[in-house]
Amino acid sequence: MNPDTQARLERFKATPIDGQALKKLVEAGLTWLRANQQTVNSLNVFPVPDGDTGTNMVLTMQAAYNEIGNLGHRSIGQMAASVSQGALMGARGNSGVILSQLWRGFARGLHGQDVLDGPGFVKALAEARDTAYKGVVRPVEGTILTVAKDIAAAAEHALKETDDPFEILARIIPAADASVQHTPELLPVLKQAGVVDSGGKGLFFIYEGMLRYVYGEALDAPLVSIQPLSAMNLENSMEAVEPGQDYEVVVDFHPANSLDLQRFYGDLEEMGTSIQVGEGEGMYRMHIHVPTEKRYQPIDYIMGIGTITKVAIENLLAQMDDISRKTGGEKLTLATIEPGQIAVVAVSPGPGISRVFASLGVAAIVEGGQTMNPSTQEILNAFENLPTDKVIILPNNKNIILASQQAKDVTVKQVHIVPSRTIPQGLSAMMHLNPEGDVEKVAGKMIKSIDDVATGEITVATRSVEIDGVEVETGQVIVLLNGKLVLAAVTIEEALLGMLEKAGAVESELITLFYGQDLTATEANRLADLVRKTYPGQEIEIQDGGQPHYQFIVAVE
Amino acid sequence: MGKEITTLGSIHISPNAVATIAYHATLQSYGVVGLAPKNLAEGLAATITNVPTRGVSVYYDDDLLDIDIHIVVEYGTRITTVASSVANTVRYHVQKALGMPVHHINVHIQGLRVSNPD
Repeated sequence: MNPDTQARLERFKATPIDGQALKKLVEAGLTWLRANQQTVNSLNVFPVPDGDTGTNMVLTMQAAYNEIGNLGHRSIGQMAASVSQGALMGARGNSGVILSQLWRGFARGLHGQDVLDGPGFVKALAEARDTAYKGVVRPVEGTILTVAKDIAAAAEHALKETDDPFEILARIIPAADASVQHTPELLPVLKQAGVVDSGGKGLFFIYEGMLRYVYGEALDAPLVSIQPLSAMNLENSMEAVEPGQDYEVVVDFHPANSLDLQRFYGDLEEMGTSIQVGEGEGMYRMHIHVPTEKRYQPIDYIMGIGTITKVAIENLLAQMDDISRKTGGEKLTLATIEPGQIAVVAVSPGPGISRVFASLGVAAIVEGGQTMNPSTQEILNAFENLPTDKVIILPNNKNIILASQQAKDVTVKQVHIVPSRTIPQGLSAMMHLNPEGDVEKVAGKMIKSIDDVATGEITVATRSVEIDGVEVETGQVIVLLNGKLVLAAVTIEEALLGMLEKAGAVESELITLFYGQDLTATEANRLADLVRKTYPGQEIEIQDGGQPHYQFIVAVE
Repeated sequence: MGKEITTLGSIHISPNAVATIAYHATLQSYGVVGLAPKNLAEGLAATITNVPTRGVSVYYDDDLLDIDIHIVVEYGTRITTVASSVANTVRYHVQKALGMPVHHINVHIQGLRVSNPD
């Protein structure tokens, strides 16, 4: 302990701990908890709607502090009673209610006292534990309750050697930490998820914040923390590629000695950005973005502190190029769904078509089409994490309707399938989406609307065949109108015009042409101009659909 | 009756089975110190037969599942938060076990238990 801290501690010890001192301690606990709020949230394993333990505990502590923030001189008993009252009124979520009960017991333990002494503090912690345990018929161990119990036990133990409240506080912190680390052994669901209990961790931060305040340590910046491996989000870190940081390096390792995190982060920060460190299954994983010339530096560095088990280096720029090519150079902006709104999932064969669907308010896109049908699981994944129960699926291909149906059968969400067989049908249905509406009615409207549009598809025959009286040779351009083979032609031009004639385009208002990846923009525009000349009375739109195999997908409406 | 048709036949889930899941989920919710029978007659019956679903009623309205839970809450907790946490916990457990959505969960506070008057 350095001399400054020592002097500060002496000063604290010399001053009686009254209501004002408790106020400062509560404020410190709140500030430190808030600084580490995201760490606590990331430990959450119980996916209920009010499941953000860190946020709930912060809001509860905030309510407790608001109650006492403006109070003047009070005895410690009175101040603790006010804290308890505030926590009770502001309790949020399960963890908040337990926290309010801990404060209630704490306050009862201090009832009628003027200042806090060692035995009083220990008694208050024991009361806090007892009160919290009384609030539930079947206490689950491995939770915040267990941590409160271990804290009280550590305090009772410490009282045998010292009756200074600050000494006792200093001794319960390591006990609380150990108790938190032990929670996965008591509660299997934590162990499965590879995390410690979030509520217990939150309680630890409150007490640790108090001690940090006493020691005069910073409370606003969170300590660099290790996250569970399962919480490491390496996929999305792609979005945050800084110029110059061209390589992503991921190293799995076992440190030789226990890892000094603060120093580890400090050293890594000199090499690169986007640093993440995860721990689990007895090993650590480090993730960093570094410039080209430093790409081996993190590996050499970690070699020096432990045994490396696995290294992965990826060129981010090359990956980014790949991604931009796939999405047509632009990032897809999908509709944001609020709880209770209707979310539409659309299957799309190409980036251009995905963009059109996104612009119409689709919440999720599944890649797929004629020759690449998505699995039930892929469709399910697209909407399982959306924050709403109401889902409408647009399969946009007759071969995908069944997989959509299966996705509907295995989810608990309320899913409606609009059996669109083509892209234009799906787009036509999207015109009738009202995210706030009654899902059944909206789906009904969408289903009705899919017949409002005629779909033409132009592709090249892969084998010779005769269907519906149309004879086709391999390599000929063929036209499908609403899924039926209607025409075989030699050129795309011939096929396009023939298709429009058969679709009765003269009577229509709007013709939209989606050209596929096999056609160049110039060629597509030349054909579009031809259509414009042939159909001067109709509005002609041309879009880069980006779909494979089909030179054109045409909507006539 | 909760019913699911599979290719092999159908699966029926009785209200009693659902009630058992809801009962145990409720007892694990913080702030709940017990479940209470809805009325005296049911209370007597429950005492005699020792059913594991006391205080929980499950209804199917067509295929929609509604659950009523009657609880006793610890005095000194924030009752609305406890009640909504019960509803969340029960919904989560029932949906996880059954794989079918729960329509409504109604939580009734039948009483408070005072273990420590302030």
